[in-house]
Amino acid sequence: MSIRIDDNLEQAADGSVSCRHCQAAVGVAAEPLRDARVRLSAPRDAGPSVRSNARHFTDREVVLRQSFCPGCLTMLQTEIVPGDEPSHRTRTVAVRA
Amino acid sequence: MAVIPVSGSEDFANLPMSPEETRRVVGDSVPLHDVDRSLVDGIDPLTYEVVRHRLTSITEEMGDALKRMSGSVVVTDCNDFDAGIMDEVGDVVQVGLYNTELAASLDMAANWTLRHRAHRPGIGQGDMFLCNDPWVGGGLHQNDVSLFAPLFIDGELFCWTGAVAHQVDLGGVSPGSWSIGATDVFWESVPTPPVKIVEGGEIRTDIEDVYLRRSRVPKLVALDLRAKIGANNVAHERIQALCDKYGAVVVKAVMRRTMDDAESRLRAKLRELPDGSWTSVAHQDSARAGDREIYKIVLTLTKAGDQLTLDFTGTDPQVDGLINCTFAGLRGGVIPVVLTMLCGDLPWAPGGIHRCIDIVSEPGTINNCTFPAGIGKASVASTWATTNVTTECLAGLLDTHPEHGKRAMSVCCGTWDFTLLAGVDQRGGGFVTMVCDSMAGGLGARTDSDGVDTGGLACIPMGRVADVEMNEFAFPMLYLWRREEADSGGPGRYRGGVGASSCFLPYGSPLGGVHLVVSAPGKALPLASGLSGGLPAGTQHDVLLRATSVHEAFAAGRIPSSLEELGGELDLLPTHHETDLGEADVYFTHWQGGGGYGDPLRRDPEAVAADLRAHKVSARAAADVYGVVLDDAGAPDPGATEAHRAALRRRRAGLEPEEAHA
Repeated sequence: MSIRIDDNLEQAADGSVSCRHCQAAVGVAAEPLRDARVRLSAPRDAGPSVRSNARHFTDREVVLRQSFCPGCLTMLQTEIVPGDEPSHRTRTVAVRA
Repeated sequence: MAVIPVSGSEDFANLPMSPEETRRVVGDSVPLHDVDRSLVDGIDPLTYEVVRHRLTSITEEMGDALKRMSGSVVVTDCNDFDAGIMDEVGDVVQVGLYNTELAASLDMAANWTLRHRAHRPGIGQGDMFLCNDPWVGGGLHQNDVSLFAPLFIDGELFCWTGAVAHQVDLGGVSPGSWSIGATDVFWESVPTPPVKIVEGGEIRTDIEDVYLRRSRVPKLVALDLRAKIGANNVAHERIQALCDKYGAVVVKAVMRRTMDDAESRLRAKLRELPDGSWTSVAHQDSARAGDREIYKIVLTLTKAGDQLTLDFTGTDPQVDGLINCTFAGLRGGVIPVVLTMLCGDLPWAPGGIHRCIDIVSEPGTINNCTFPAGIGKASVASTWATTNVTTECLAGLLDTHPEHGKRAMSVCCGTWDFTLLAGVDQRGGGFVTMVCDSMAGGLGARTDSDGVDTGGLACIPMGRVADVEMNEFAFPMLYLWRREEADSGGPGRYRGGVGASSCFLPYGSPLGGVHLVVSAPGKALPLASGLSGGLPAGTQHDVLLRATSVHEAFAAGRIPSSLEELGGELDLLPTHHETDLGEADVYFTHWQGGGGYGDPLRRDPEAVAADLRAHKVSARAAADVYGVVLDDAGAPDPGATEAHRAALRRRRAGLEPEEAHA
């Protein structure tokens, strides 16, 4: 019996996490995006919603960090954050006994 | 200059205290009403529901009274206030539907007052206490002035009522008490711990003078004080009548049961959700004028059984600036999300809901700062960021459940777009006002639907935006437009609600221009994050155009509808800015939408086409972000869209760009 994590991910009873669209293995309960493909790029690659260059407002580098399913390349997580920070976005759904 | 600790300030570093401990501290100094547990357990369901709903309606009547008596557009038209009913120790039985952030710490302020004012000057019937010290509680920053009043029945303190509203100016270096250069609280409005401003039903004029003397608009603040007195008086009349009809012990039993009911029903809901932990982060750019740093609040939400733990370990230390918030501010950031996402179908009785939530936070951090850190912007800075990070974590928890997931929502409008005008109005009087247009923020996308465009703010369920005409009537300003902005909602399978922009110029002031204070983060990076692969909403964008040709356009019978038509010298404003606007200067401010949900390449192409027709997204975003190819009639081309999305999917992941073709 699997449990839904979100729109794209589900977790099996053994704790393995897979893509809901293509069933590719993506990670484990403690690290659900462990095997996701991660890409860093410029914030304005997110589209026209990013109105200005971050350099105008801060001296820190700001990046667009995106994680993709290794199978079907569905976008699993997106964040625009200081590039010198690790991603703080994670989750762990308890494995059912 | 570094924040230097102030000896004695620890007396005001308030934390919530249990009813049992409060009763022990208060002792015999004031008789506290109580009710036997058997009466709480034995109350009949019909009486319970009738009295409970009456208490709910009383908070609405308090809000009505406040709105009718206030003269501040911020209150009368934008609903930046709230009201609540508390039990005898301050636990909140019912909170109003207005700005729930403001009312989130009424309990702390009433409880502190009980413990510190019962001996001297004493607490009696007809007394009311004023507080704008966020270290004590009652509000998020000094502009949030609360007024809370004990109601005595048969010689015992039966309950407290409280009203809190944003006051447009309470002194400090900059107009609006928004001192954008502040490095600590001494730049800002004076925090006032609970003081008895109404005694035995009469305003103490000596205390009122102390309170009003600090303001640039004392008469307006005095009117708001009377509005809050009126709100409390209305509540006392109604609760007294309720006690006369049903008996004080029955009403108190309903209060107890309401909080118990909220707790037990929330616990039942939590038990239906899987255990686990969700960690996220919320950023803010710039702590004060000239500062170019980015700050973070980190939250790990753990759900175990029927208890939530919110652990803010990893959050940045407090900073020299005005963006910090106190522990009351942190609670103010948490409770609105809990109410709207988890408690939409149960009583809004924070006194019971708080029992299900443990908070771990280190004093000295930006959302649990110590005196004398600057907190002038707390409500829309670290409190708001706390709301954002709590939203993301709670939504992650809810998303695991097929039914409760429908309540999940991405982060709404990433922050408040603070614009303040001050000067001399068209009637020759001094004025200060916060322009509350960004009450029309975009709501976050949900797991099964788009966010509501310009739908409001999650923390202010009944927030509203003043009509353009009301702002033009009340203040010396003239709008060129207020309109929704394409691409401001976060892209996703379900799109975040779009935000909007306002563009206006000074108009009618005998001085010619007005003073402008800007304090709006989210320019270096977007603050309304997406969920499940959805993108964040757009960034904040503020532009000042100097010496435009706007008056020439008016003379020619034209109303400019774009920045390009205005000419002049363009200045892209930083997060914090203070200046004067001249007669031909135009200010454009563009606030944020809500975050998206899911991969935008999985959005229904027909929905993208509809968004393009409705100007919710631009042609560029439709092609580059959503991957939709439209035919000449504006309808999606299925084959071309599928091919384009396949190429885009590889290109955005950094794969074989040479094979990707648009």
